[in-house]
Parts: sequence; C-alpha cells; structure tokens
Amino acid sequence: MTIEDLPVIGVSLEHPDTVAAEHWLAALPTTPVLACTHLMRSPRPHVALSLVFAGEAPPSLGPPCPEAAAAQLTRTSGRAVVYPGVRDLVGTLSVAEIIARSAIERVEVLGGGAADHTAMVDTGGFVRPHWRAGVLTLATTPAVGDRLVPFETRTPTPCCAAH
Amino acid sequence: MGHGHHHHDHPHDAAGTDVPAAQDLSVPDGELSPSDVSRRGFLRGAGLLGAGAAASVLATPAAAAAGLPHAHGPAGGGTAKGGFRWLAGDHHIHTQHSSDGQYRVIDQAGHGHAYGLDWLVITDHGSNAHARIGVEKVNPDIQATRSALPELLTFQGLEWNIPAAEHATVFVHPGRNEVAVLKQFEQTYDGSQLPATNTEAQNEAMAIAGIKFLGEQVKARKVDGALFLANHPARRGIDSPHEIRNWRDADPSVAIGMEGAPGHQAAGIKAPNGRGGARGLYDNNPAAASFPGYPLEAYRTWGGFDWMTATVGGLWDSLLAEGRAWWVTVNSDSHVNYLDQSERGPGSDFEANGRYNDPVYTPTVNTGAGDFWPGFYGRTNVGATSFSYRAVMDGLRAGRVWVDHGRLVKTVDARVRVAGDRRRSSGTPLGGVLHVRRGTATELTLEIDLQDLPNWAQFVPVLSRVDVIVGTVTGPVASRDAFTAPDTRVVKSFEVSRGSSRLSVTYPLGRLDKPFYLRLRGTDGRRTQPGLLGAAIDPAGPKLDVIGDADPWGDLWFYTNPIWVLPR
Repeated sequence: MTIEDLPVIGVSLEHPDTVAAEHWLAALPTTPVLACTHLMRSPRPHVALSLVFAGEAPPSLGPPCPEAAAAQLTRTSGRAVVYPGVRDLVGTLSVAEIIARSAIERVEVLGGGAADHTAMVDTGGFVRPHWRAGVLTLATTPAVGDRLVPFETRTPTPCCAAH
Repeated sequence: MGHGHHHHDHPHDAAGTDVPAAQDLSVPDGELSPSDVSRRGFLRGAGLLGAGAAASVLATPAAAAAGLPHAHGPAGGGTAKGGFRWLAGDHHIHTQHSSDGQYRVIDQAGHGHAYGLDWLVITDHGSNAHARIGVEKVNPDIQATRSALPELLTFQGLEWNIPAAEHATVFVHPGRNEVAVLKQFEQTYDGSQLPATNTEAQNEAMAIAGIKFLGEQVKARKVDGALFLANHPARRGIDSPHEIRNWRDADPSVAIGMEGAPGHQAAGIKAPNGRGGARGLYDNNPAAASFPGYPLEAYRTWGGFDWMTATVGGLWDSLLAEGRAWWVTVNSDSHVNYLDQSERGPGSDFEANGRYNDPVYTPTVNTGAGDFWPGFYGRTNVGATSFSYRAVMDGLRAGRVWVDHGRLVKTVDARVRVAGDRRRSSGTPLGGVLHVRRGTATELTLEIDLQDLPNWAQFVPVLSRVDVIVGTVTGPVASRDAFTAPDTRVVKSFEVSRGSSRLSVTYPLGRLDKPFYLRLRGTDGRRTQPGLLGAAIDPAGPKLDVIGDADPWGDLWFYTNPIWVLPR
C-alpha cells in the first residue's frame, strides 16, 4: 500500500498563512504521512491543507476543501510540510542525500535549473518542497559559504518589521 | 545652473486637437486619403488604434494628459546633459515618525544632501499613529529642513499601505495644503484605516479611488502635483499585474511607476560584519494573497534589482510593450543604517506621540542594519528643466529618469534621433516618444561619462558593458495579468574599454517598420547569468543574489527608462 493508494482529505480552516496552518497540523492527534498547504483565493485569501493518513483519519478535521484534495491527487500544486523522510532532512546534506532520504525527487536552483547532486544544502531543518508537474521539487537559492538553502526560510522578514 | 526650457514650434505637437487623420477614429475610413487608409490599417494591425490604446503612449491625447513629452528633444541646449539638469534623489526614506524608524528628518536629509542628493521624499509608514498625528508632526521638521538645507528639495510624502497590495510612495508638491491633502488621503485610503472585513475586490477599488483622489486634489489646485510609485513591488508577490495596470490607468498623471530596485541594499552583507540576510530583504515566499502566477524567482533580487525590472522580457517590459508608460526608480528605504551608532531615543511612546524621541548616540556599531543612508548607494537621476520641486515632479512624470547603484557612471545622455540628426537641441530623451513616418531611419545616440570619482565605498566604479534592450510595441494586452513581453530582448551590447573616460556610441535602429521601444542597462560585469527567459533574450543578465553574502559594492548596475519610436 503506497501513499498514492491512500485517500486524500482536503480541509480548510481558513488559516491566514502557512505558519498558522502548520501550527494546526502539528497539534493533530495523528500525524499524517503526507500533508501539504495550498494557497486559496476565495472567498478570501487563506491557506487550506490536504492530508493523507496511513490509518484512520482523526474525526471532524474541519470543513472539507475539495480543491486542496484535487491539487494533491493530481500533484499539480501544493507545498509539502509532512512527507516521507522529512524528519531526516536536518543539518547540511548533499542534493543526492536529500533525494535518497526523502520523497523529494528533484532539487532546483532558482533561475538555474537542476542542482548538482554534489551541491551541499544547509537545510536549516525547514524543508518545504512543492508539487510541480507531478514531481516533488525543492527550490533552493545560493547562500553564503558556497551552500544552497531552501528557497523558503523559516523566518522571512515580516512586512514593516522593526529592522 | 539650471536653464529655462524654451518652448518653440515643432511639427508634431501631441495636443488632443492635433491627432493625425489616420489616428482620429472620428474620421471615417471613407474620408481618408489612400495613404492615410494604408497608415490606419498599419496602426490598427499594430494595436495602436482603438480602445485600450487610449491609456498609453500610443494615444497622443493620453500621452499629453500624462505629461509625456512629445516627439522632440529638449530645447535650449543647456550646459547639462541633453539640455537637462540631472538631479539625483531618493523617494523612499523613513524617520522617527515610522514605527520601525528612528532618525530625525534632518538626520536623513543632512546625510542625503552630503552624499550628493538634490531631492528626497520623507515617506513614513501609513499607520494609526501616523494618520492621527504623525503626518502633521513631521511637517515642521520638514519645513525646518527646507530652510536649513536650501540646496536640497525635501518633499513630504508617506508610505501608503496600498489596499490589497504592497506599499507605495505617495508625495505632493510643497504648499499650504500639503499636510491636509496627505492626511485626508491617509485617513481615507490607507490599508491600515480600512475595515478588515473588506474583500480583495473592495480593497483593489479603494486603491484606485485613492490614486484618483490625489489627481483630483491637483485638479482642484489644492496641491501643485501628486505622485505615486509602487515600492518593492515583487517582494511578497502581492502586486498583481492587473493591479499595476489599474493604478496606472486610474490617473497617469499620478501613478507613474515603481521601484526598479528595492532599498535595504546592505542587508546581504556577510556576517559578522553585516546582517547576512537577503539583499533588499527579499526573502519572502508566496502567501495566500500573492498573485498565483508569479514564479518563485519573483521573490528574490537579481543584481540588487526587483524581478519585475531585472527580467528582460518580464513584467516591466510587458507594460512598455503595451505602450504603457511606467517608470522605474531606486531608493534607500532607509530605516536604520548600516554601521550607524545611534539608537532610538529612550523613553519613547510612539503610539501616544506619533514619533519616537530623538535618537541617541551609542558606543555600538550597528552591523545588523540593512539600509544605507539616502544617497550613499542608489540614485534616481531626474532630467529637470530647473532646480525646483515642480521640475523634479515633471521630470519624474515624464520618465526622464535613469538610476544607478554605487555611482556606477557619472552621467547618461541617451536619445533617439532621426538618423543623421546631430543637433544638440534635438533627439528624444528618456521617457520620450519619437513619432516618425514609416520607413524613417532612426538611431540611438548614447554618451556616458564614465565615473572618475570614487563612490562612498572609496573606489572608482568601472562600467564594463552597456546593453541595448529593444521590444516591439504590441499594443494593449488581452490579459491584464500578462507579465511577459516575448519580443523584447538585448539586441546589442557595448563593451567598455578600460581606462576610457567616455563611452560615446551610435546604434542604428533601422527603418521603422513596426513600433518599438528601447531601454538601456549597464553593469560592472562582475556578476551575470543568462536571463530568466533564456540566453537568446538576455545572454548576460543580472545574477540571483546570494543569501547572506551579497556585497552590494561588488555588483553594480544602471538602468534607464525607455524611449518609444512610433509611426506617425
């Protein structure tokens, strides 16, 4: 029984951002084997989730979100938070190690195509790949010390920060 | 040192009453001469006629309304480049009247002036405290600065939280009502003052209404001018292409452009000597309110510039290819400056007072700050007809603007001419529109005085290459969310020989068979990569900035605004 054979649940609690959605996800009584966030435009901008459980899903997760479920089923879009191997993506790893250890199938450098398999990625323990045309893809950018870092940082500069 | 702009007669004035018969759709086809019928067919085929063309440089009445220059160069042949006096400025600066700022107005203005600026705009964040008291409290400080620094034009503006979008610089011509107009604008249209229950559509409509309000204040003679520039437009992906088009269309005499590069250019300096973050503080990712069509590349800077401007054939070019006049600038976005030793005044109560207490000196050097003082790094150079508030606003509105980082070059004089015309007083400058008959040969004349003085990092920058970027004008787009211009590319690159003091080139643009525009870009050549739309479009474009190690002084670019060549 692979993940592809398990049912996908789409749910929307109208979280304002991915941080709130991930917070809710972390508090679930059962950890899903796959969980993605999906950016929704209507009725107002919010974040929905798609969830795949290995066993019984927790009851009454929230209002259903068929769009999120469909995006996950077709693997056309979505940002993976929980996926096979995510816990092993800590510290600095080579691109090859990331692909070997996790469900991530492809690592790209922003504006530069596929990353070299020997390139080192400073994961920061925060790795959020995206479904892109059916492939779970991690976007990275060059960073200090000839490393790559995941495109998404855990602590982006907030708007109007006291910087 | 300024000079008057001598008005003189010229053959193709862009007055609304002056539309050539071929372009005047109130004249039926049957009343046109055969040559005009053919010309009208050509213009229509190029998307230069009919609805939609009206909001662009393609419709002469609209061009005139937008204050666009017409098809002749500056007159008078003054002492400065291209007959203009080039005034350097910065339209995005915060003070102690911003919840995330700390400096006095005179701190920012004094540094800006010392670092070579001729004009600047004080733009404190729209907020509850600012709308209530800050917008008034800052004004006496601005007035005092105008008196103390008469050689600096100090505008009052604010940083507008555009409803449903990013921030924008909004500023007005100084005068009796400058505060009243800004205050009414902020209290009515700032995103912070709107109900949280507003839908996106309601907020987008409020943004348009706000821009229109500013234009109405000018028409009612409350203020002598009002301008809007979208700030850090791609930073969080929330300025969708259709919003940008809507702002421009709301009032082209007010909404004139966007930051081509964000401020915070010190934020990528390597730790421990610097903040070690993302250049421009562009480190965000798509959110629910982001435009879903933007690629991840949009959220980072490229050679310090915003993706909308840095991408040849990208969003900016898609507007220019439409014939939509939209200009780019650079700025400091100074809040707290790199290596400064002051900190916010102790015992401050920002909410109650609308400002922080004056900053105090500390023995600590702030290596974590991501900003430069105004004028220290970036310049928005405006071709003005005189040294005055009005002339700066007119020059900005006309798009007679080029920008650089780190004083990469000294001067830029770029003009498009009818081939062979070498009169000093002719040639269409940046932001201009040259109308010529189909088949007429045109050429670009470019004269750049290379830098011979050290910049504020104590080295003399060396220009390595200049790119000529040309795009076909295709007329109105089918989708207002379009953000590519497939026909725009780098057509020519000029290598600059080391040790020369001047780059002086002529580049033939061929005989006009279809409308086009051109713009220029220059670089120190240190960091390049193929453009995002391919090496055939841009073989050596700006490179993605490195997180935590982006030395702003080792990656310098200049950009000019466009010049259009259209059939008469």
